[in-house]
Amino acid sequence: MTHLQKQARGATIQALLLISICIGMMFVDHRYNHLEVVRSNISLALSPLRYLVNLPELGSHWVSEWFKSHNELLNDNKTLQTRGRILNAQLQRMQVLQAENTRLRNLLSSSRKLTDEVIVAELLSVDQNPYRQLVEINKGTNDGVEIGQAIIDDFGVMGQVIHTNRFSSTIILISDPDHAIPVQFIRSGVRSVAFGNGNTDHLELRFLPATADIQIGDELVTSGLGGRFPTGYPVATVASISEDLAHGFLSVLAAPKARLDSSREVLVIKIGTFSKGE
Amino acid sequence: MLKLKHLVIYLSFIVGLLLLILPLPDWVWHYRPDWLALILIYWSMALPKYVGLWTALIIGLLADSLLGTLLGQHSLALVIITYLNLNLYQRIRVLSLVQQSVYVFGLLLINQIIVFWMDGVMGLTIPVQAVFVAPFIGALLWPFVFIILRDIRRKAMLN
Repeated sequence: MTHLQKQARGATIQALLLISICIGMMFVDHRYNHLEVVRSNISLALSPLRYLVNLPELGSHWVSEWFKSHNELLNDNKTLQTRGRILNAQLQRMQVLQAENTRLRNLLSSSRKLTDEVIVAELLSVDQNPYRQLVEINKGTNDGVEIGQAIIDDFGVMGQVIHTNRFSSTIILISDPDHAIPVQFIRSGVRSVAFGNGNTDHLELRFLPATADIQIGDELVTSGLGGRFPTGYPVATVASISEDLAHGFLSVLAAPKARLDSSREVLVIKIGTFSKGE
Repeated sequence: MLKLKHLVIYLSFIVGLLLLILPLPDWVWHYRPDWLALILIYWSMALPKYVGLWTALIIGLLADSLLGTLLGQHSLALVIITYLNLNLYQRIRVLSLVQQSVYVFGLLLINQIIVFWMDGVMGLTIPVQAVFVAPFIGALLWPFVFIILRDIRRKAMLN
């Protein structure tokens, strides 16, 4: 065998070895969690890149803040003050209700705290796999973010944490085709599971019995089943109902409450603090 | 192995990674060329002794981590096209840039199909036009990538 042939054979063997390593890694990554450490470390090493890419967005944000006119600021201030007053008024009622709720829960000897501890985070504008609904936030394990914690914005549930490293985390949105969230209809109390389908405009509720009491406009909240999402956060509003008569099921589409494609500030809910208290 | 003059290779891959996650409007998603594959094809053609299968594996893992894909998904695709390239580069190097573009289109298409195939196995639906358009745009960009990286390589005196 000539030298060149030997070299070519070496390269082929090396390629086959690396290909099997790749396939093995994909298999393990899909089925088990063992590679989470590897991913988190690579991700940590690459976080400067993420923050670098995020800079222009941050800069434009900062510049637009800087050049806001005096009048605009006064206006903003006024509207915020009014909103604050309204919220305060609502909060007064809320406190009474909360006290009443705690008392009733105590009567029922139910052990669930109402207040959840949150971490405020901001989205990093980096692009991820376009066929999935993943986003990055600028808080990581250093700030107490853990895998499995729920993410909400001002309007409702956005998703949950799937990968973390020290300085940033990856969020899977409720609209991801791989994501499902246990929900409950407020009006009728029917429980179901809302699946994402890769579209930020609606979630799918499959296999509801044709006799289920559901109307367009019904509100969906998290049911707390499954233990991932805390109970009672708004998720979506029913947008359309279609009957699948052949199989006797309803298929329902619901519009997510959270602004999945435009929210920048989000809250991470710490699960450990809410589950069992008192 | 780790020499100062090889710094340009690392820098070019860092630029590739930045271009990979640079936020762009949604409609551009399907048409975004695979910069990392282009850069990798260039270096494995120009300096097959330094940039080879292991580089492909590592760059692929970095891409997988940034994009949130399965670890190994981009690595698999990049290792396969680098292997093909290492076997063919001696014949391709002598061709004109336009002819090379056709060859690069083929490599990018294989790369794209492998990545999408794995996405498909995971149960994601991929629009068909995305399979062809991104490699096509990548092939159009090849002459520019080639000229820019060649000038950089000559300035850095890498042979």
